[in-house]
Amino acid sequence: MKIKRDLRGKREFNPSYLFTLIGLIAFVYLFVGFMLLPCLNTLVSVFNNTDKAGNWDPFAIIRFFFAGSMPTYVLNSLKLAVTLTITVNVVGISLVLLTEYFEIKGARILRLGYMTTMIYSGVALVTGYLFLYDKDGIITKVLCDLFPGTDKRWFSGYGAVLFTMTFACTSNHMLFLRNAIRGIDYNTVEAARNMGAGPLKVLFKVVFPTLIPTLFSLTVMTFITGLCAMSAPTLIGYDVINPEIVRLAGSSVADEAFPQARAALLSIILAMFTIILLTVLTAYERKGHYLSVSKTKAKLVKQKITNPVANVFAHIYAYLLFIVYMMPVVLIVLFSFQGVENISKKNFTLDGLTTINYVGTQAYTSTSGRKPKVYENALTGLFNNSKTVDGISTSLILSIAGAALACIVVVIACNYIFKNKGKKRSTVVEYALLFPWLLPTILICYSYRIYFNNDVWYVGGANLYSLLDGRLLIIMAYMVVKLPFSLRMIKASFYAIDEELEEAAKNLGSGKLRTFSRVKLPIILPSVLAVFALCFNALFSEYDMGATFHSVSTYGMIIKTMTERAENGRSMDNMNAMGRQCASTVFIMIVSGIVLYLVYGIGSRDLAERLEIRDRRRKRLYRIKSKLTGRKEEEPAPQNVYPKIR
Amino acid sequence: MSENRKIMIDLKDIVVRFGDFEALHNINVQVKEGEFFTFLGPSGCGKTTTLRTITGFIEPASGNVYMDGRDITNVPIEKRNIGIVFQSYALFPTMTVYDNIAFGLKVKKMSKAQIREQVYEIAEKVDLSQDQLKKAVGQLSGGQQQRVAIARALVMKPAIICLDEPLSNLDAKLRVQLRNELKKMQKDFGITTIYVTHDQEEALTLSDRIAVFNKGYIEQIGNPNEVYNFSQTEFVCNFIGDINRLNDEIVRRLIDFGAPVSPADHHYVRLERVHVNEQDGQTLLLDGVVTSREYYGLYIKYYIDCCGQTIKVIERNDGVRIYEPDEKVKISINPHDLMSYPAGADEAAVTGV
Repeated sequence: MKIKRDLRGKREFNPSYLFTLIGLIAFVYLFVGFMLLPCLNTLVSVFNNTDKAGNWDPFAIIRFFFAGSMPTYVLNSLKLAVTLTITVNVVGISLVLLTEYFEIKGARILRLGYMTTMIYSGVALVTGYLFLYDKDGIITKVLCDLFPGTDKRWFSGYGAVLFTMTFACTSNHMLFLRNAIRGIDYNTVEAARNMGAGPLKVLFKVVFPTLIPTLFSLTVMTFITGLCAMSAPTLIGYDVINPEIVRLAGSSVADEAFPQARAALLSIILAMFTIILLTVLTAYERKGHYLSVSKTKAKLVKQKITNPVANVFAHIYAYLLFIVYMMPVVLIVLFSFQGVENISKKNFTLDGLTTINYVGTQAYTSTSGRKPKVYENALTGLFNNSKTVDGISTSLILSIAGAALACIVVVIACNYIFKNKGKKRSTVVEYALLFPWLLPTILICYSYRIYFNNDVWYVGGANLYSLLDGRLLIIMAYMVVKLPFSLRMIKASFYAIDEELEEAAKNLGSGKLRTFSRVKLPIILPSVLAVFALCFNALFSEYDMGATFHSVSTYGMIIKTMTERAENGRSMDNMNAMGRQCASTVFIMIVSGIVLYLVYGIGSRDLAERLEIRDRRRKRLYRIKSKLTGRKEEEPAPQNVYPKIR
Repeated sequence: MSENRKIMIDLKDIVVRFGDFEALHNINVQVKEGEFFTFLGPSGCGKTTTLRTITGFIEPASGNVYMDGRDITNVPIEKRNIGIVFQSYALFPTMTVYDNIAFGLKVKKMSKAQIREQVYEIAEKVDLSQDQLKKAVGQLSGGQQQRVAIARALVMKPAIICLDEPLSNLDAKLRVQLRNELKKMQKDFGITTIYVTHDQEEALTLSDRIAVFNKGYIEQIGNPNEVYNFSQTEFVCNFIGDINRLNDEIVRRLIDFGAPVSPADHHYVRLERVHVNEQDGQTLLLDGVVTSREYYGLYIKYYIDCCGQTIKVIERNDGVRIYEPDEKVKISINPHDLMSYPAGADEAAVTGV
């Protein structure tokens, strides 16, 4: 520990070193206890099987794997992942080119439509697609009317999953590829045109090469998403790895052979693919990116499609995509204000407008028997159904806690990494936080479920899976899963801080804690809040992790149950499942929209913008007051006015 | 400048190492009270490292830093009472101008009334209005930001103030304007100032004394005239201002003319000391041909082919005598204007001034 001398040469102890030591111990506890040991336990469990005679047989599960149907799940996952990278890239690149590169009429509206996946995703989005395309869906109804021979269950299996996930997974393209294309120096396009290159040549030889690093990262991320698909295959029906792991995790030896070991093996296979892909991605990223060498970058000007046929085709294509993106959103919003009868018949009427899917209760009259039967308070709205409300409140608490914890851990770690830049210890901390990135979410959750379903000494001998119905464990899982993403985002904002700011604060006598809280934290806070919001949005309606734990009903699981009930017919406890399902999707969209607005709209304003807005508001109030009173009011003194020193 | 003023900063045998690399080799500098002292040199020469050693951001491997006679080598940064104006100004972007200036006073736990009084006092001195105090630092111009950075440093009433290339981020016109303001402010406050720059013009116009750095050594310490006209090393003579290095042919002609110089040494002459078509009997005349010229308004720079080399000459623009390219001229060099250095002695370190 470092000891400095003061002006009188007296030795003094710096308490911040004690905090650093405590922090490092806590970090090692988190890494070893909640990342390393549970996952190692899963790995070991693959080889920890016995044969019929009770002898240890480490390769039993490997033999079982090749003898049974398990390879099908792996092959199906790979097939989905490979095809998804193609379809998502085709659609994603189209969306970005249509809204950012080519001059398409109504591009702003189109962009809003294409970005709807940012406010609802996962299980909520899949239910939206099912609302349109499943056996009772609106589109299916239209198709059956037009073509009477159409199979009502046409929207199922691999094709349906691929279709849904293609449009669900373009959010990253709209975020990152859009930024990359907007970062292109327009002078390079003009230079190419000046040298005689046609529009297509410019696109393929000048624009695309600069996008390759971003596209490569997006392709890898899409592949991993496809490999780890959960909501869509579960709800639409397609045999892939993740839903099988969840099924096996809930199974017992009495039902089938080696359920736990099989689940562990599938998790490990997923992890292996993820590790290989991320290693490739990291190696590629290390090669460096195409950087603009322009000193004065020109803003990209949208390119007019000069060929009239191509122009019409591009517009048709753009608006078709817009319809695909917007249709589930618009119809779900509209039908969320219709009664259960209209929803089940997919019949929208103005007379049928109601808010029952959101609030209130109604009686339900069953006409299926010989005599009509009335069930009092059988139809309940989203906020009057105890199970749904429980699910919402559970998910709200768990996701807020998980996202907040991830942000806190990452902010503290980033501060340490930033201070020890270039040193080995900072690299170790950074890699430890990125460790969960290598592991599929399902592997982490499965490992938690198995490992902490015992009395574990380092958590006070408690069984965390039973404690509070596993809520603490889910919070830990949420946090751990969100660490790598939070680190990548928050670290970037830390590196944007001018190092001289810390030195300036130190020179002015500020201690480490004050420098952190008053100087650095206010600078990174918008990024931290943004990360918190994105984590919260992803966790609030997530299904995969909740389903793997299966100890408490999260909102995502409730929505999934509502979808099944909506499909399987009405039971008395879940009479208005379809209505609440529509309302739930709208509710998620509203929550996500508000959170994103608060963070990106209000939270991203810097001090200058805030002061300007405050000033404008003050002047507006002054004008209104003047109008109301009919006389010129004295302009109120601005806030923070200090008396002049004479 | 009074010579018996007390020594505010005294660097004794300072050595700084970064791993195996020795960035500063035995640096010895004394800065007097109220002096405007500049560390000048090219990038990577050690000037900022020396400044950071004084401010406490870098611990020397050996040697001592004395401030007003006290050894402060191991004193923490915040207890040295040295104000710093950083290259980027390092203004806290999430605070208003007022809060930026008040930051250090709040750390000192002064009362609100005292803070307000001191902030207003310093703001008035550096010409910041009350309206500007309420603004976010991002809303100010570069010049105003510099004033905030100076006010923030000065409000702490430091014994000395260190400025690390504070004008480097500004455009040429603003640099000149702020340079003058900076000098005036330093005179008004009378504070000991250590200034780091790589801009020789800035150093010559602002400083009472200059230390010229090269590769971790100090080549020369002196006032601007000493450094410019009596450069002690070949590096200083090359680094400060533009200069002609004379070839063997011109040196031989100068020796024939009676100049007391050795042909083995390197000989230089400043551009403004060479004249075109002027003769006074004390100067050697050489035939030359104008190859090109650069028009600067106040003066004109000529490139003249002479004795197998290009000689650069600066002539005052009187609007009458302007020479055209390909025009035959005579250039004159006075042997007294020669600056001569032994060959191979360009890295001699000058320490212990």
